[in-house]
Amino acid sequence: MKDRNLLDLCSTLVELARKAGADHAEATASWERAVETHLENGAVHTVQSREETIYGLRVMVGGSQGFVTANDSEPEVFAKRVAEAVACARVTPKDAWVGLPDPEAVTKVSGLYDADVAEVGVDETAQLAATMLAHIRDLDSRVRVDSGSVSATVSMTALASTTGVAVSQISTLMDASAFGMAVSGDEVASFDYDNAISRRRRGFEEEISAACDRFVTKCAAGLGATAGLSFRGPIVLSPDAVAEFLLPALIDAVCADNVRKGRSPLAERLGQRVATSLLTVWDDGRVPGGVSSSAFDREGMPTRRRAVLSNGLLQTFLFNHYEARAKGNGTRSTGNATGSAASLPTVGSHRLEVDPGTTAMADMIARSERAVWVGRYSGATNPVTGEFSGVVKNGFLIENGVRRPVREVLIAGNVFELLNQISAVSRERHDVGGQALVPALRAEDVSVTAG
Amino acid sequence: MIAALELLREIAARQDGFVEIRYHAKTSRSLGVDKGKVERSQVRHRKGVGVRVFAGGGWGFASTGQVDAVSIERAIQLARTAAKACAGHSSAGSAKHPPLMSLPACTLARGIFDQPGLEEIAARSLEEKIAMATNLEAHMRGASSTIRSASCTYNEIFEDKAIVTTDGAEAAFRLVRPELRVQAVAEKDGQLSTGNEAVGATGGWDCLFHSAAGEALAERAAKTAQDLLGAGHAEGGRSVVILAPSIVGLLVHEAIGHTVEADFVQAGSVAAGKIGHRVASDLVTLCDSGGSEHYLGAGGTIPVDDEGVPASRTTIIKDGILVSYLHSRESAARFGVAPTGNARAWEYSDQPLIRMRNTYLEPGSQDLDEIIANTRDGYLLDGPRNGQADATGEFMFGVQEAWRIRDGKLGELVRGVTLSGIAFEVLQSVDAVSRDFRWDLGAGYCGKGQPAKVDAGGPYIRCRALLGGEQ
Repeated sequence: MKDRNLLDLCSTLVELARKAGADHAEATASWERAVETHLENGAVHTVQSREETIYGLRVMVGGSQGFVTANDSEPEVFAKRVAEAVACARVTPKDAWVGLPDPEAVTKVSGLYDADVAEVGVDETAQLAATMLAHIRDLDSRVRVDSGSVSATVSMTALASTTGVAVSQISTLMDASAFGMAVSGDEVASFDYDNAISRRRRGFEEEISAACDRFVTKCAAGLGATAGLSFRGPIVLSPDAVAEFLLPALIDAVCADNVRKGRSPLAERLGQRVATSLLTVWDDGRVPGGVSSSAFDREGMPTRRRAVLSNGLLQTFLFNHYEARAKGNGTRSTGNATGSAASLPTVGSHRLEVDPGTTAMADMIARSERAVWVGRYSGATNPVTGEFSGVVKNGFLIENGVRRPVREVLIAGNVFELLNQISAVSRERHDVGGQALVPALRAEDVSVTAG
Repeated sequence: MIAALELLREIAARQDGFVEIRYHAKTSRSLGVDKGKVERSQVRHRKGVGVRVFAGGGWGFASTGQVDAVSIERAIQLARTAAKACAGHSSAGSAKHPPLMSLPACTLARGIFDQPGLEEIAARSLEEKIAMATNLEAHMRGASSTIRSASCTYNEIFEDKAIVTTDGAEAAFRLVRPELRVQAVAEKDGQLSTGNEAVGATGGWDCLFHSAAGEALAERAAKTAQDLLGAGHAEGGRSVVILAPSIVGLLVHEAIGHTVEADFVQAGSVAAGKIGHRVASDLVTLCDSGGSEHYLGAGGTIPVDDEGVPASRTTIIKDGILVSYLHSRESAARFGVAPTGNARAWEYSDQPLIRMRNTYLEPGSQDLDEIIANTRDGYLLDGPRNGQADATGEFMFGVQEAWRIRDGKLGELVRGVTLSGIAFEVLQSVDAVSRDFRWDLGAGYCGKGQPAKVDAGGPYIRCRALLGGEQ
């Protein structure tokens, strides 16, 4: 498969849609070839090879939209799928905001493709997986790998539309992950997880090794966990917890669809202070070699780096083309259309980055204090209200300078209040799965309940 | 489907060693109505063949989106190469789990096992489905001036499968799974609250709306959103709780079910080594079934699993004693038992993993009213939000509605509640089980590297657990 062929497929579908009666059409297609080795119960379990092309066709007929996605490769089936999309549009009510963007200049993001990854075969992923298992076992024999994988993927994406958008991109990805827990005698500690992810083959062994170190440290730290204490007081969210708990709630609230639908507590707060001045958050789709980077979004619009929060002030909402039209007044897409060829565009972020602070991570809790370190958060967050309540995982209670692992500890509150309760930001930052580059955050006066 | 079964049978007849060939075609339709607009109307087609080869103690898996003999045979060759690469490293495993060199014979399905509802759902027009979703969304917005927005999502998944193995499975089936979700958002004085209802089934609309009509679901979501506006917060701490069937379903799926999946057991879950041990009070009997027990339509129903094993009922806990894990063919061979029909793959390009189907607690003999009347101090919990569980058996569920119980009477509604605990400890504390039964997680998807449609449910139960709230 060549990216030219994929773009030709998109153009063919757009042309067929026009012939079938569509006023406008957009086709996007992705091709992916991957080799993958799966781990199960501490052993190499299955080696896998797959290749697939998926396309998605969006058509507009008289102001109504229809969408079909399929993985057919037979040209004779294309006309049938196109007819299905047009028929779908014809029975869907009109929507004045439906439309396709005009083309904009798209510039390449460097470092997304590495020819060495494209050469990786099943023997190599199996070898890397076996090495990863041996490394974990050597580090700590109490740590069990329940599941995991090592994969190498080559993918291409293309998009063409009746408005003249025509873009394509090729990228590669190496990914290795381990999921498991420490077991010592009758004691089973909490699940934990870590991964290494890169666009490049070179140096990936070292990245796997570092991920194994982090994985083993987190798993083993959970052994010996005992009951915690109930109190109101400070907590420290680890970079993992910031990336997986705090930032998703913030991003939900700045996505223009939630703002428009009355599902964002930040709807009327643009330009206002919504978080402590210590907090600056960026959305960046253009990090060179970044695993969340792409030259263009799901609608073929260029991606950007932009501040979401700047010293606690809300700087922007995130838009795709539909939401920009809904907003009106000349609002344009911010390059935040997300989704794949298998889905209609939605709104979302790329890589999130939180500016570092000035406090060393080790100094975020004073010796005299009682506080909880939240390694991970496993819980419910209502994206509409911001209310959260959940269990602290890989958690520690710090009291009188002593740090001990705890279990059955819950934290509760409201994410949007928590943003204003942040009192310290660590100067160290961690890359969390290529999705976020974040420090640890300390928040005051949080409800902690122990079982 | 018959043609696919015949093609797979012909290809399998030409193979040496163990080869499993699975044809899977899926057509999904999704409609989304939000704040008066049809924002999404889409159709998704995905079909192909996944093949597994087991050779030299290693598994190889390959998939192709081209359903023809040449492409499938090429995929088998790729799977053979992959199996060889795997076998070369399978000794990298621990000595505790030496490689298995062959799969023992077992009961395998042969025949056509179509499920009801296919023709009915296919015959309903897209216009009718759009009208239903549009009306329900409008119904919620019209319920009160405090309802700020509403949404309704209708999905349906048609599946067509054929599974053939070189050691005797030859099965095919078709089924349909419709789902409906409604959400209302209420607002007063800048405070927001939500009400959610969701149903999902395997079968026609009679199964989908078995427990409540669409209008009733919409009314309930709107009412919940309004009622929660003025609700206070629960007091955190250990408490007596009565769990509704939806929460019981989440408990038995997330907190128990995952720990008894044999792959988790082998990795060292809390259920390891507990067969024959008491893990729950004697009021607890817990099962997982490919069928829809008690009444038709459970959302995780499958007649045959993706290894060609009949998906029969498995009793996991009987009268409080752990009696079985959930197995694939491979794990069953390792444990020296028969497979339980729990190997499931989401799409053709996914390999089968041990997954639950319809997981439930058997009903008891008491009335819910009687259980509430005998509760001096506690909460009645209903409406699951999300849920997670750990290897330790520690679980966490978000709860939509929590009613205070004082002196045997239901009191005020509180919001923002989380239920947590150690699963087997909570089951040990069960002291009352109602005679009701409801499947209540049919709209849910279970995630384990790949999604799976599952269902879960049961009666009302009373137990002790940890409530997350305010300090």
